[in-house]
Amino acid sequence: MVGVSEILNTVQMGLAYMVIALPLTLSYRVTQVINFVHIIFITLGAYTVALLGLVGLTNVWIAMGAAFLLGGALAVLDNVAVFEPLWRRGSDVLIIMVASLGLWIFYKYLIYAVLDKLFIVLRTNTLSVLVHTEGFPSVSLGGITIDGYLIDTVVASVIVSLALYLILMRTRIGKAIRAIADNQVLAEISGIPRGRVLNFMWFLSGGIAAVGGVLWALFQTTVTPEIGDQIILQVFSIAVIGGLYSLTKTAIGAFIVSGTENIVIAVLHDAFGLPLSFRPFLVFLVLLVVILIWPPLGAGGGLPYRFRVRHRSRR
Amino acid sequence: MALDTKAIGLLILGLIIGAAIGYGATAFTGGGQATTQEEEQKTVTYKIGFSLPLSGQLSSIGKLWEKVAYMAVDDLNKMMESYHLPYRFEAVVLDDGTTEEKALQNVQTFAQQGIKVVIGPAASSQVKAVKSFADSNHIVIISPSSTAPTLAIPNDYIFRNTGSDALQAKALAALVNHEGIKKVVVFYRDDEYGTAFADFFKREFEALGGQAVLLSYASNLADFASEVASLSSKVQSEGAEAVVLISFDTDGANILSHAKDDPVLSQIRWFSGEGIHGASELLQPSLAEWLDSIDFMGTRPVFISNPLYEEFKKKFEELTGTDPPVFSEKLYDAVFLAGWAIVRAGTYDGEAIKNALPEVAKHFYGASGWCILDENGDRAFQDYSIWTIKQVDGEYKYVDIGTYSGGSLTFTENP
Repeated sequence: MVGVSEILNTVQMGLAYMVIALPLTLSYRVTQVINFVHIIFITLGAYTVALLGLVGLTNVWIAMGAAFLLGGALAVLDNVAVFEPLWRRGSDVLIIMVASLGLWIFYKYLIYAVLDKLFIVLRTNTLSVLVHTEGFPSVSLGGITIDGYLIDTVVASVIVSLALYLILMRTRIGKAIRAIADNQVLAEISGIPRGRVLNFMWFLSGGIAAVGGVLWALFQTTVTPEIGDQIILQVFSIAVIGGLYSLTKTAIGAFIVSGTENIVIAVLHDAFGLPLSFRPFLVFLVLLVVILIWPPLGAGGGLPYRFRVRHRSRR
Repeated sequence: MALDTKAIGLLILGLIIGAAIGYGATAFTGGGQATTQEEEQKTVTYKIGFSLPLSGQLSSIGKLWEKVAYMAVDDLNKMMESYHLPYRFEAVVLDDGTTEEKALQNVQTFAQQGIKVVIGPAASSQVKAVKSFADSNHIVIISPSSTAPTLAIPNDYIFRNTGSDALQAKALAALVNHEGIKKVVVFYRDDEYGTAFADFFKREFEALGGQAVLLSYASNLADFASEVASLSSKVQSEGAEAVVLISFDTDGANILSHAKDDPVLSQIRWFSGEGIHGASELLQPSLAEWLDSIDFMGTRPVFISNPLYEEFKKKFEELTGTDPPVFSEKLYDAVFLAGWAIVRAGTYDGEAIKNALPEVAKHFYGASGWCILDENGDRAFQDYSIWTIKQVDGEYKYVDIGTYSGGSLTFTENP
């Protein structure tokens, strides 16, 4: 039986997935680089709220603000110190992607090292922390309790999505980001300062992903250094369902995946006795179906595919 | 000419005297150095490999275990020094990421480095993965925490310094039965540890007249909200009175934190094995209050009333500020077993160490109690404590409230 908790879980999980996956699609669309440091932004966000809670700072909005700044700063640092120099030396996107893979592993073990030291300072286990933070209180509606963390998640994701939409559609810098995404060379010729615009885009991506990390921590409630690693396959699946192109389809992908993980598995478990451990399998089944229907990169078609189709049709 | 002869004579005499003085001086000073060098040369340092879950699912306890490992090697060396024994030990710690593949890679790396004794890996599934390599390459594996009954195999290179879950399942079944519960849902990890524990629990609980419904969850996930929702409907549809949770620490804490908000699961009793014991998340007031209110209880392998454990616990708390996590004392003793087995074997050879280990264990009493092994190389005698979470002096703590020993359950205080 699909109960209220499955539906509420789908909403909360879907929104957190959406906030994490949107910036992945955005950064891919602008730079054509799949950035593996995205995993670290999630972990960074989750640990921001967890550690602030440990030291007694339990306001969830402060945690989100701090996570946004930290994630954004880290993304800009990566761009300035690694991606941009590589790009200037003529590296193609594949090399930059491999560099991001290296950065991910480097940061992951750096986080372990830092937490190990913090352990001694805080005298508590920092490698597995239960989130303790406060936002909106829980609300009871007709016998159904809606958790405060769910309300925080709804509010935060609406703010983030709206802000992202307004920045991209209504501001000059948003226009510049879209121009670079469409045609980098043409954008530069038109006088768009590519470096500055990209730094802003990275700041936005890293920051939003880290806020997504906070939202995921509110859902998961237990935070470990593996938190980002554990959900990244789902997040990449969502981005691919969105074709790594369309932000709207990415958002839809988030709810397809969370619905599969909560409602579909519950229905199949009740009806056919499908073991609960088949949950990850179902996610990838959905991904496979979407990719098979819209090859090669899912529902958005994917940039390379779109260009190829257009190119072929011109010939 | 006569002068020349005299000069030559004096020269020879001088040379003889000089040589004598030189020899004497060398014997007095240099000779002494030679003795020290000999002593130093006689001191042999053996490496002990550690394959620990420093990252991945068990990293929350793995990092603490790393501290235990270094503490144990340090204490073992001090002991060797105090006995004037010319042996020293060095820890070589590798991270296995709580995965089977990396655990095997680690044991292979140790083999290449000529290391014959490896402590770890932690999870039963990992021990299973390294078993055939260890057996064929004569590497002694001492796991402080693998408890799956399926790995109780005689005459192999796998030793386990903890009792098999076949025994713990019995203790847990007795506890649940004692609490007057007749029907439970067993919610367990779908790995070697969880599956075996759940099967044995079901068998034991049904032998006592109870009924157990099994429900597994994929252990490698980030979050278990969806599984907890299904568990809730299962409990409702089956009319179960309690849940028996077979988990590690982080997954267990996650499951409990979701269950606390579930209208069905928050109202029934919960029981668990040792996997979650010591997790700091359970002591945070938001979760601890609920666990206290439902009389959450679990079993864990301990050696009852052991002063050496108290000593170990105190030392560990001084070092880290936290309680020693589950199986720490077993790991601590495993290092001593490894060290003394190497000393007893008289040679750093896998087969000789393997043969020496049971004899050493038979005479070893440490922080984890008497380490005597059975014919499968697993700990032969294991008592279990009944633990719960209670407020002590205004703070939530893990408290042992009873024991299960020799087939009988005794409560020492009220839950």
